[in-house]
Amino acid sequence: MNQTPRSLNRVLLGLFGALLMAVGALALLVGLPAVARWWHNTAAAAGEWIAGVLDATTIEGQRDSWLWILLALLMVLVVILMIAWVSGQGRGRSGTLVHDDDAAPVPGRVTINGAVAEQALKAALNGRVDLVNSSVTTYEFNGQPALRIRVSPRQGVAPYVVAEEVTALVDALDAVVGRQTPVLITLSSGARARFTRAERVR
Amino acid sequence: MNDETTQLTARVVRREMHSSRAVPSAVAALLITLICLYVMLEAALKALGQDPWLLSPEGAGEWIGGVPGSTEPTLLAAAGALVFLIGLIFFLNAVLPGRLARLSIPNPRAAVVVDAEVLASSLARRARVAAGVAPEQVIVTVGRRIVDVQVRPTSGIPVDRDAVLAAVEDDLRRTSIDSMPEVRVAIAPSGVIGQ
Repeated sequence: MNQTPRSLNRVLLGLFGALLMAVGALALLVGLPAVARWWHNTAAAAGEWIAGVLDATTIEGQRDSWLWILLALLMVLVVILMIAWVSGQGRGRSGTLVHDDDAAPVPGRVTINGAVAEQALKAALNGRVDLVNSSVTTYEFNGQPALRIRVSPRQGVAPYVVAEEVTALVDALDAVVGRQTPVLITLSSGARARFTRAERVR
Repeated sequence: MNDETTQLTARVVRREMHSSRAVPSAVAALLITLICLYVMLEAALKALGQDPWLLSPEGAGEWIGGVPGSTEPTLLAAAGALVFLIGLIFFLNAVLPGRLARLSIPNPRAAVVVDAEVLASSLARRARVAAGVAPEQVIVTVGRRIVDVQVRPTSGIPVDRDAVLAAVEDDLRRTSIDSMPEVRVAIAPSGVIGQ
């Protein structure tokens, strides 16, 4: 429920993968005589064209074309875009559970911190013996605050039981806060759940 | 619960069941960044009129233009195959649906997503109690359409296949997953001793 740019990831990965595949296929096929001949002709033509462009963009009295500076700046731009792409992954954590600045019934702004939900739910989940671990975080999903509850049940614990009981806690939280936010409950198997002993005695 | 929250919850479930492809994206971005930094360095050196660091742009152009003749053909083919494979991995990551090994449990209030492994360990526990064997003798694999239960009985003590099947199906019904998977129980013909 974070704001990872999923469709952008797919598009860029697809383009990058297709580009690498094309380069690899060309390197494989260029070993064939027919392809090699075509490649030599194309490369020669392209080389001439590039040399022409470089000559045309060389300012009088300069040794090299100013296109090199442009190329360096372009690469800097691409690097910045790549950094922006990576930093967009997994973004979306926020600290607010409820945000309300309606003028009715009284003017003013109400904000409930995410720590309210986090601490209340963690305190309720901490004492349970059938859970190895739990974490509660607030996210901003689609412009709305949302709650993510992640629990790792011990081996062999029935997921529907845990889900029902966590849902009961969420209902209690709704009653306290007075607002229903979207809630995600994930029951995950972490490394700790895998290696700790299954509960033998109930 | 109001309509907006219900819709958002449905969207959350759909998102959580599929991979976000964050890791391959980060790897691709890192690769592109490294290539761009190198090109930038050589272009800047060229623009400043300095000697190239590893390979001058003209040298690179000539090398690429003369490629089948200018390198070892087997090396070129191997490098090409490697680049093609790496590209294929990225491409498949983008094109395939990227479904995660997770299941969603219908819930009136929240989006509930369960790792298949958690459900499998719960089913294994039910199956082991029904079969009366030790935890190590039961293996459960949960797929999207099929739940596979393998039981190795203790030597000399027969295992009731139908009881195991009924227990596993009962647990699945209580979990009430969206599409009920088919349960297959396999009892191993040879038993194990001393568990």
